[in-house]
Order: sequence, then C-alpha cells, then structure tokens
Amino acid sequence: MASAIITLINRPFAHWSQEKRQLWATVLLAAAFAIYPLLTDDDANIDTIANAMSYATLALGLNIVVGFAGLLDLGYAAFFAIGAYYYGIFTAYQVMPPWSEAWAPLAFLGLVEKINQGGPDLVHFTMSFWLALPTGALVAGFFGVLFGAPTLRLRGDYLAIVTLGFGEIVPILARNMESVTNGAAGLNGVKGPTLPAIKAIGFGGYSFGVDATPYYYVGMGLVALLIFSSIRLRDSRIGRAWMAIREDETAASAMGINLRNFKLLAFAIGASFSGFTGVFFVSKLQVATPEMFNFSVSSMLIVMVVLGGMGSVWGVVLGAGLLQLLQTWILPQTTNVLHDIGHAINSDMLVAADLVQWTQMFFGIIIVVMMLFRRDGLIPATRAQPKLEMEEQHADVKRGGFVNVDRIEKWNPGTGNALEIKDVTVRFGGLVALNKVNLTIPAGGVVAVIGPNGSGKSTLFNAITGLVTAEGSIKFEGMELIGLRPDEVLQKGVARTFQNIRLFPKLTVLENVLIGEHCRLKTLPFGAIFRPPSARAEEQGALRKALDIIGLFGNRLTPRANHTVSGLSYANRRRVEISRALASRPRILLLDEPTAGMNPNETLELAEQIAELNAMGLTILIIEHKLDVVTRLAQSVTVLDHGDVIAQGSADEVQRNEEVLTAYLGRAHRAKIEAQDAAAAKEKANG
Amino acid sequence: MTSGDLFLQQLINGLNLGAMYSLLALGFTLVYGIMELINFSHFNVFMVGCFIALGVLKLMGMDGQAVILTGLPLIGVLLVTFLITMFSSGMIGVGIERLLLRPLRAVTGPAAMILTIGVSYILFNVILIGIGGDTRNFANPLPTVTWNIGGAVLRLRDVLIWGITVILMLGLTYFVQFTKLGKGMRATAQDPEAARMMGVEVDNVVGLSFFIGSALAGASGLIFGLYYNYAKVDMGFSAGLRAFTAAVLGGIGNVPGAMLGGVLIGLIEASSSQLIGQLWADVVIFSILVIVLVFRPAGLLGRQAPNKS
Repeated sequence: MASAIITLINRPFAHWSQEKRQLWATVLLAAAFAIYPLLTDDDANIDTIANAMSYATLALGLNIVVGFAGLLDLGYAAFFAIGAYYYGIFTAYQVMPPWSEAWAPLAFLGLVEKINQGGPDLVHFTMSFWLALPTGALVAGFFGVLFGAPTLRLRGDYLAIVTLGFGEIVPILARNMESVTNGAAGLNGVKGPTLPAIKAIGFGGYSFGVDATPYYYVGMGLVALLIFSSIRLRDSRIGRAWMAIREDETAASAMGINLRNFKLLAFAIGASFSGFTGVFFVSKLQVATPEMFNFSVSSMLIVMVVLGGMGSVWGVVLGAGLLQLLQTWILPQTTNVLHDIGHAINSDMLVAADLVQWTQMFFGIIIVVMMLFRRDGLIPATRAQPKLEMEEQHADVKRGGFVNVDRIEKWNPGTGNALEIKDVTVRFGGLVALNKVNLTIPAGGVVAVIGPNGSGKSTLFNAITGLVTAEGSIKFEGMELIGLRPDEVLQKGVARTFQNIRLFPKLTVLENVLIGEHCRLKTLPFGAIFRPPSARAEEQGALRKALDIIGLFGNRLTPRANHTVSGLSYANRRRVEISRALASRPRILLLDEPTAGMNPNETLELAEQIAELNAMGLTILIIEHKLDVVTRLAQSVTVLDHGDVIAQGSADEVQRNEEVLTAYLGRAHRAKIEAQDAAAAKEKANG
Repeated sequence: MTSGDLFLQQLINGLNLGAMYSLLALGFTLVYGIMELINFSHFNVFMVGCFIALGVLKLMGMDGQAVILTGLPLIGVLLVTFLITMFSSGMIGVGIERLLLRPLRAVTGPAAMILTIGVSYILFNVILIGIGGDTRNFANPLPTVTWNIGGAVLRLRDVLIWGITVILMLGLTYFVQFTKLGKGMRATAQDPEAARMMGVEVDNVVGLSFFIGSALAGASGLIFGLYYNYAKVDMGFSAGLRAFTAAVLGGIGNVPGAMLGGVLIGLIEASSSQLIGQLWADVVIFSILVIVLVFRPAGLLGRQAPNKS
C-alpha cells in the first residue's frame, strides 16, 4: 500500500536521479516547515512541533550511539539533563554564590553580573544561550566519555544495564546536590535566548520570551543541523567504523578500527547532541527539574529509534514525529471521539475514557509489535538491493588470475624475512595451544601452515594479529607485534582473513571493502561533517581504490558492490573478505583456509589469484587443508600438531615426513605413499 | 541505641531486603543463564506479583492492618496467598516467554532484550490504568510479636520472611541439583544445542525457567508488601535494578551467586542508608554495579567472563 503510493508520487519524476529526488523532497519538506508558522495562528501547534523537534534531535543523538555503533544506551536522558542543568545553573536565579572581586573579569566578559537582593552582593550567572549551545554540547560530550569509558569492555546487554544505572544516578544527583541544582524544586526562571542588537544594520535586538515561534525556528535549525551531521557521519570513515563495531567487534578490530576510541567517539557525539538539545529545551521551558530526565524519557527515545529504524536517520526523525503526534493529537482526538460516541449511546465507560493516560501503554505495544514484526523499523536503514541482469548473475570460472590487475599498485617485498616467529607459546588455562612455535616467512614468499583440526593453526594467526595474548616474539619487518592490539597490527601491514568468514553482514560489499581501508584514511569527525576538499578527495580516492580491488574478481563482485554481504554466496563472501584485507594495503596477507567450502574449479581459480598476488610482491602466509592448493602455492610448509611444529620444508618433503603422515594424513595415506615409493623403486631397479 | 544495637538493627533490616532481592535476582539469573537475555519485564512481574498478593489478601477479607490472625488461620492465609501469587506470577512469565520471546529466540542482537523493555512498559501500564498510580496499603495480618535483642528489635515478620526465603531457596537448589528437569536446565544453560541433541526438551526448560523465575519474583513482591506495608506501581524499577545488581555481583547465571549477591546488596543498602543517608543509597548500589562489571565481570562466584565473543 505505502509502496504503491510512493510509486505513484514518483512517476512524474522517474527520469530524475535518486539523489535529485531526495534533494528536492528534503527542500520541499524544509520549506513546508519553514512557512508553517506563517500559516497558522495557533501558538499551541507551533509549540508542539517545537517540542517534537527537541525530541527528534535527542533521537538523532541516540541513533548515533544505538543505531550506528550498536551500543544500547538506556540512560541517554542523563546527557540531556547535563546539558539542561548546565544552561540552567548558569542563568537561573537559584544559584548565586557571594560576590567577590575575583568575579570581576567574568563580569567584564558579560558572563556574570553583580546583583543585590537586599543582603550581601551576589553573583548572578548570565551565560548567553548562543554560547551555552556549543559549550553545553562539549560538557555533555565530556560526560559521555566519562560514563562511557568504564563500560566499553562490557558486552552489549551489560552496557544497557549500566547506562540504565547512570541514567538513574544523574537525576538523583540533581535532586541531592541542592546547593548547585536547587534540589527537587529544580531551577526556574531560566533565561530565554536573546539576539543582541546590531546597530550597523539597524537591528534593535530581540528577546525570545514565551512565544513559541522563535523556538520553532531554532529547533528547526537544530534538527536540520543534526540530520545533516548524522548523514555526513554515516557516510564517512567514522560511520563505517561504527557500523563495523556494531556488526562484529572482533572483525572490526582486526580491520584496523580502534574499538576504544570509536566507541568513546560515538558516546561523546551522541551525548553532545543530547547536551545541545538540553540547552535548547531548558531555554524553551525556562525550568529544569530532576523529573524531566528520568527513565521514561530515555525509554521514549528508545521507542522513537525502534519505531523509525535503528541506524536510519530519517527513520528516527519520523519516529520522533509520530510519537509526538500520538501524544498530542491522535490520543486526545480519539478520546474526544470516544466521548462523543459515549454521550450518543449513553455509555459511561466511553465518556470516562481517557486515552492520553494510555500513552505509555502504546509505547510498550509499539516496542513489542516492532520487535516481533518489523525489527528494522518503519524506514529501514538497509537500502534496497539492486537487481542483477542475467549476464551479471552469470559468472564463468575464469582461469589465469585477476581481471584489470594493472589498476592495483604492485608491492615491493623488500629483502630478508617479513615475519619472524620465535618461541611463541599460547595457553588457554591449562591447555597449551601453541608450544614454542618457530616460523620464518621470507619477504615475498608464500608459506603454508597445515595440520589436523585443533593443532593450533588459527591460534597462530590469532597470536600474530593480537587477538590472543602470546608469549615469545613475533617480529614483522623488525617490529615486535606481541602486545599490540589487532588494529595496531593491521596498521603495521599485517592483514588477515578468518576461517569462519567474519564480514559485516548487514553492510554492502563496497562498505566492507571500504572498512578495510579505514586505517589508511585520516578523516576525523570535523572533516566527515563539513567535508573540506581534502576529506572529499580522500573519500573519492578510497572509493576508487575499493572498486578497483573489487574489480579484481571480475563480474563476481563488481555487479554486487551495493549488495549486503549476507546475501552473497559462500565463495563470494570469501572473495569479499580477501578484498577487505587487501584494501588495508597490507605487506603480508594471512589467509585462513581461503578455499574452504569452494568447489574444485573455484578453488583452482582462487589459488591462481593468490599466486598472482604473490607474483605482484605480496608476502603470504596461508592455512589450507587442500594439499593441491598447498603444493601449487607454497614454497615452504610448516606442519603443526597439538601446538608443536612437527615438520618444516617443501611441500614434497613434508608429505613424506613420517610424523606428518601419522599425525595428519593418516595411516592409509602413509601406506599409499609407501606403496608408490616401492613401485617407483621397483621401476627404477627394473629400468 | 548504642552503635552495636544500630548495627544489629541494620543487619536485621538488611537481611529482609536481602531476602527480597535474592528471590528477585534468581529470576534474572535463571533466564540469563539459559538464554543470555536480560529480562527487563522481570522488574514489573515483581510489581504485578505484589498487586496479585494484595488482591488475594483483600479477597480473603484482609484490608489494611485491621485483621490480625494467629495460629493456623495465619499459616493458612499466608500459604494460600503465597501459592496463588507465585503461580499467577509464574504463569505471566510463561505467557511472556511463549507468546513474545519464543518467536525471537533465533534472532541475534538486542531485539529480544528491547522487547522485554516493551513488555515491562505494558505490565506497568496495565496496573497503572487498571488500579491507579497511588500508594496502596498492603494488608498485614501478622500479629506484632517482637523480641528485643539489646536495643534492636526483631519482629515476627522478619523471622517469617527469612524462613520463607530459605525454604524457597532450598527447594530451588534441590530442584536444580537433584531432579531430572533441573539437570536438563543446567545442561541447557551450558549448551542449548547439545542439550537438545541429548533429548532435553529445551522449549520446556526455557518455559520452566521463566515460570520459576517469575514465581520467585511474585514471592519477592509479596515479601515487599509484608515488609513495607504498601504496593505502588513504580516499585518495580528500583527494586529490579538492585536485584539485577545483586545477580551481577554474585555472578550472573549462577544460582548460589544470586542468593549471595541479594543478601549483600540488602546489607549494603541498609548500612549505606544508615551511614550516609537514604538519598545516596541508590548511588552507592549503582556504583557497585559499575565497579563489579568493570573489574570482575564474572561476579563473586561466577567463573565465566560475560564478554565472550
């Protein structure tokens, strides 16, 4: 139904590009909101919309924390309270320390004034609303980091409960710290914003007062600013890093994302959006009390985000609008209708009904219904998947390596050893997973690690990439890797794939590969939001590079660049994972069973592609079970069994090694090799 | 009162609170142990349980402190109230699990937890709209029998609360450790898939853990009523958060841990009210929650770190 209407509206504009349609829809929407106060003289409506705008800004902030970064914050209203009290304390008449000359410099700057209410002289803070907005955001952001820091190591659901506790503590503090916050009575008489007089253009200044219209426009400006910032952040290096963390923390870390910094950044930016709104909200209401910021506010914001769609910028704005509409219009109007019906049919029950009391009941029902039937919200954040043409769907097994390989820069492998692993031991409790393993990978070489299941192969990769703590020494081009975090290891030039594919399932192929480039890009939040030429150029370069890497696999991946990876075939997901690793521009690539689950033709195709990467100068360490792949690729093979290196040498040598035959290939194979040898010896003797 | 008497009195109060929090914490821990789900609806199953008990007592003619019973009638009334309250609360838990959470069992991510927030809201508003938001007097048919220990006062109520709690905990421990269903429960907590393959009916086990957890929440609600002599629609939030803290403190997923954690939180609440004021008790308890989660996420008795990937 809804989609049919959208199609109908879209029809006259079908020849426009999607960007153009979206731009014009946004402009029309903004224009409609801009002229609305001129068309109505009902101040209550304007006030209601201005409140809805406050909630929309809060929901946008929460969406960064919950929707983008996947950190379920149930105490988000705490930051709202911090912004509100920050502005309240610095303008209200309840907090007035005694005057001393030390305040004089601040009085000179216009931040405080000396007043006398018939006693000793007192200090009255007179912070400007326009100064409080950005500084309130900073203060709330600071508390975001402060609250976030101890909770970051926790799993998502624990984070929820801790933030719930924080959300509860902040109103309690506001109630208890009477000397600063005036306790339960709260601060009132908070100053409304003013615009200073500008003589040059003949503007005499303006004070906001109680009329809702100026707040409406400020609120609209805030919503526009935060929508803009959210979208810019989402489509940047920052937003991709957050979504990677949301999808798979371990993989995000292994792909070069500093988990701690980016989680704190999400907390800080989300909190600063909230602090921003707190300043605005309090200036509009002109009071701040502890009850304004309790759990019901936090949970209402969660409802908005859940209703609109977690991670969907326009979705949460819609969610905020719908909830405000529900509270201020739908429920009162329906109540009136029920009353009319009640009077008509003489039903006392209907006459007494008051649906406004049911507001929170509807919140609960909305959450339950959305979680059961539409978890992605009304406007899902994941976009529609473009359909594939027949020839795009069809992929021939292609022999002979990559396509358009000249678009990828070659590597200079250097000389000596790329990776030197010395006496590396990994223990899990009493179990020794790796026991004094020694392994050297020459620069520009291909080394394979084989061994039965549970022999410690993947643990070796985890030790190299910092996912498990190890003893001993792992030197990459002379730099010690042990003790580094996974993201630091990637930064140094060691990239990996995982045995049980760890892509970011809800993100597209292109986004996955772009996340691989994360550690080579530099854009920070400011650059992401305002996109100076340098940030723009960097992003375009990254996009081009990602497409070039995806293009290596020909029409396997390129037509699917904008598909979410969860819908790809197994083999294609392996290819995306290799692309993602290549995007970090590694100097050594660690492949953990890259051909597992591929059919023989696909295996051969990938083996040739790996060989081509090596020919281009990339050093490779590979775990593989398929011996034909190992013999085809590896110059040297290391065999692990129960955490010990039991053999090292060429593929041919280890295949004949007694211990390997017993441990890994089994007795039947050993008998077969022995029979072959005997036959060869016999032939030799005969010949 | 000397400081020794004060300490003793706070010990008695703390043990009462602790009994209440322990029973409530068991529900969090049982469900978390089996499904790795923080069940926010538990907060308000507790509250609804308290109102059910209030209703049952009212039906039996108890209202306010007007009727005082002794002897067999008292035991009978208490037994009936406990049984009906626990059974009804348990069935609410089973209903939530079967109707709402089961369809989400296979869904990864926070969906199920967010859903329980919604369920909690619905339970809250059912009581708010149906009964009202004002404080209700909770009938207390216990005679005022007291013993003086120095300056501290031990009431019959206190002894009764401890007795009931100990009986319920012993029953639960026996059930979990020594019955076939209890074994199935422990197996499911370790590895649901393996348990299913070994013939444990996981659906029943999950339903049962919700029933037991919610029934204990109902008992806890009844104890709240007997201790504080009131019921109010917003009582679930702060008690629930404290009980959750107790479950985390003891090691979430760990049954003896929840009991220990509950008692500790009760004692901490009583003594911090005494030492630094009622106003700050919440701040102290949430600080403990954060400190435990940061420095010892496995809790006092837990072995497994909760942030496995």
